[in-house]
Amino acid sequence: MNQSSDKIKPPKWADRLLEWFCAPHLLEEVQGDLYERFQKNVRVFGEKIARREYVIGVLSFIRPFALKREKTEEVSTFFLIQIMISSYFKIALRNLFKNLRFTTINILGMTLGMACALIIFLIVRHETSYDLTQSKGDRIYRVETKNIKEDHTYAGTYTGMTRALHADLPEAERIVPVLQYWGYTFSTPNTDKRFKESFVFADNNLVKTFDYQWLAGNADKALTQPNTVILTRKYAEKYFGKTDVLGETIRYDNKQDLMITGVIEDYPTTTSFPFNMIISFSTLKGTNPNFEFDKWNGWNDNHQVYVLLKEGVKAEQLEGRFKNIVKKYMDKEAVADKEFLLNPLKEMHYSSNMGGRTANIKLLRTLSLIGLLVLLISCFNFINLSTAQLFKRAKEVGVRKVIGSSRQSLIYQFLTEAGIITGTAIVLAILSTGITLPSITSILDIPIHMADLFAWKNLLFVLGLLLATTLLAGIYPAMKLSGMTPMWALNKNKMPQVRQVFSLRQALVIVQFTVSLVLISSAMLMDEQLSFFQKADLGFNKDAIITISLPDNSPAKLQAFRNQLVSSSQIKDVSFSFNSASAESNWMQGTEIRNSETPIQIKAQMKMGDSHFLDTYGIQLLAGRTLKDNDTNQVVLANEIYLDKMGIKNPHDAIGKKFYFGNSEEYGTIVGVVKNFNVNSLHQKIDPTLIQVVPEHYYQGGIKLNNTNLSSDNIEATVAHIEKLWTATFPGQVFEYKFLDAELGRAYQSELRTARLMQTATFIAILIACLGLFGLATFIAEQRTKEIGVRKVLGASVTSILVLLSKDFLKLVIVAIVIATPVAWWAMDSWLQNFEFKIHITWWVFVFTGLMMATLAIVTVSFQSLKAALINPVKSLKTE
Amino acid sequence: MKRTYLGEFEEIVLLTVAIMGDKAYGVSITEEIEEQTGRSVSVSAVHAALHRLEEKNMVSSYMGDATAERGGRRKRLFSVTALGNRTLDEIRLLRNRLWDNIPLRIFSTLQ
Repeated sequence: MNQSSDKIKPPKWADRLLEWFCAPHLLEEVQGDLYERFQKNVRVFGEKIARREYVIGVLSFIRPFALKREKTEEVSTFFLIQIMISSYFKIALRNLFKNLRFTTINILGMTLGMACALIIFLIVRHETSYDLTQSKGDRIYRVETKNIKEDHTYAGTYTGMTRALHADLPEAERIVPVLQYWGYTFSTPNTDKRFKESFVFADNNLVKTFDYQWLAGNADKALTQPNTVILTRKYAEKYFGKTDVLGETIRYDNKQDLMITGVIEDYPTTTSFPFNMIISFSTLKGTNPNFEFDKWNGWNDNHQVYVLLKEGVKAEQLEGRFKNIVKKYMDKEAVADKEFLLNPLKEMHYSSNMGGRTANIKLLRTLSLIGLLVLLISCFNFINLSTAQLFKRAKEVGVRKVIGSSRQSLIYQFLTEAGIITGTAIVLAILSTGITLPSITSILDIPIHMADLFAWKNLLFVLGLLLATTLLAGIYPAMKLSGMTPMWALNKNKMPQVRQVFSLRQALVIVQFTVSLVLISSAMLMDEQLSFFQKADLGFNKDAIITISLPDNSPAKLQAFRNQLVSSSQIKDVSFSFNSASAESNWMQGTEIRNSETPIQIKAQMKMGDSHFLDTYGIQLLAGRTLKDNDTNQVVLANEIYLDKMGIKNPHDAIGKKFYFGNSEEYGTIVGVVKNFNVNSLHQKIDPTLIQVVPEHYYQGGIKLNNTNLSSDNIEATVAHIEKLWTATFPGQVFEYKFLDAELGRAYQSELRTARLMQTATFIAILIACLGLFGLATFIAEQRTKEIGVRKVLGASVTSILVLLSKDFLKLVIVAIVIATPVAWWAMDSWLQNFEFKIHITWWVFVFTGLMMATLAIVTVSFQSLKAALINPVKSLKTE
Repeated sequence: MKRTYLGEFEEIVLLTVAIMGDKAYGVSITEEIEEQTGRSVSVSAVHAALHRLEEKNMVSSYMGDATAERGGRRKRLFSVTALGNRTLDEIRLLRNRLWDNIPLRIFSTLQ
């Protein structure tokens, strides 16, 4: 019988209904009882009635005791919290609208601060995210060459390193040599599509070590054969208009056809390996027969070797291996001076790399600090303005407390107000960042896109920023306001007079102004240093010089080209040389003077140029003769620094002196002495320099124009003329030209960017600080309306009232100046250490910034003070 | 003297719990009341009353064992507390006193 009745179940929906509405702690007994009743009804009355009765039974349980959940208190606070939250919001909004002026100032300040922080976060995140996604990234290292005596590490290494590592570094899983070239012409056969490209030579190991997404071809086969090339999607489309280009050919340097054996997806922006064309290493044998694959006497930074270490191998353990390599492959002297280091992949972005974009960790830290400071300033504004309103809110707080509001709920109340302000500010900040991002990225030359702004990591940061600023800005006012005893809050009494040198509010103003002052004076000094770069006497004349490349440097061709060029009336002189008078990549050569017992070793920079080199670049000859085009490379001009190193004071004494190339027996003779000129950027000292005639190393032409103040039309015509002659001389090549002064300016790009950033941040910081000061002055003027009225009735002049109201603020600014000056001095002094040629920090910069800030503060404050001072006392005294 | 008020139904439920001894739970109490009073009582009404009584500390309860016909659910067993007993006593005394005070004439008509 049990079995038969067991099969009959009460209606499911009724059961579900019961389970839904019945309080969980009652459900078991209630449902049990209903079931028992149901079973009995089935037996007595049959299924139909039992089911009906069951439904009625369930429905009849819809009454308060069954609905109520167990912990009755929790339920009530849950509702209470909802009510309270909406109350917090309502009250907060009312208050914010009531003090619309302060609210606006607060939101404006916060928006600026947050936008600044947001942009800086974007920059810092971008710069720190390079090459972090490589799947084998933690095992990839670059073999770097260190000159121990110079204490300088170079990114490149000897071409012999590849073979040496294969033989002597068993811990390496793969060895990846990469050779980068610039400025070669590529073309597609049967079309006149020609482009000048920078590209790399690499072998199969590159594509097997680094991650690539293959659109066509694969990592196993690509780059294994000579005369093969891999293109990115972008480049495949650039040359062929499609990505399906496997097996097509592309012509390299008008000499060699390369077969495309792979097409890869475009590289991400955050990589230090932005290779668009990768040509197989073995191609070099045919195209550049002079390239030495196993060279140990001299290297170039454009040849870099990467290693993929086997799992579990630590780079530090391999020191001994590299010592052995030095011993085994290099000569005796190298042992003391050469060292090879492994630099992990994630560090590539912070040192010289093949992508050309580097970041400076120190700069990023400074930037983060500035962002934080600006944010802090805007938080201080909020704190200042909120505590200033203490009086206005005192009564409200008093009444709330008397009615029974807990301190906690008061804190929530004030935090809600802060939250609304920061919330509004952050929305505005995101909007304004979105609007300004394109121009900011172009000014700072950082490839950040709109998508980065809405990346989840960034949104997470925004959320954190929101919480942090709300707490930072809100917690102090909240604590302060909620901590008042209702007695004095309601008693209409003044704030308890605590004797302090500075109140917190004053301290915050001082901090704000200190930060602004440090930023201003730093920005000014940076600017000064940069204009110093522009105007510095380099020892040669960089103006009106156009540089062009020389794809072919056979003397006959160059001579003809030269003759054609100088026949133009616009062109004053032409010089063919290795590089310009000042350039970023240089040829360094060890030389020896063997007059005394111990030879003097001088590491000299070699300038290779023709007889017109000095005239074109305006380098001054101090003694001896200039170079002739038929001079051999054993005849040189030396600069004064070289003479210093030789120990010769008078330039004339140096004429005819011999020097040896390295430790060889080959020697040269000094036939002339030139005045020092900056062969490097002004970051560095002037190297000892030798100038010689070596026609096979002429890669660049310098064209000095006649008139330094040419109109842009004139310049265009001249350039067009040069281009015509150039293309006629070097058919099938792509013409490119640069202005030397602009080219040299590139060396200071990172400083320029820093300065621009600083200026922007400074501007924002000052703006925020002034906003805060304005708010505070407004408030104080408002508060003292009656006092001012009484004073005026008693005969005070407008001026005396102005002074009265402004002097407190001025005092704060002066304190800020006193604090800021040494800080800024120290900061700028350490920044200037980066440069060999630098300005001196002068005291007037600080006087000037101090005066400027003081004036700014007075103007800001007196705007309000004046209003207060001019008001008719009848008005201010009449109203209570 | 302040005393907890008991409604008529509550009183009946409380008395029934006292009658049932250690077998007092929702269904059994309902059935007992139905049997004793002849009126139809809903389980939910009994539950509500028990709930109120428990809140007034007249009854205490614990979870008993489960049976198959309850779908494996336990029953909540009720017993009268000391306070419940005293309240019942007081109600009875009060009623008795009131009965005793009714004049004989009327009493006989009632008879």
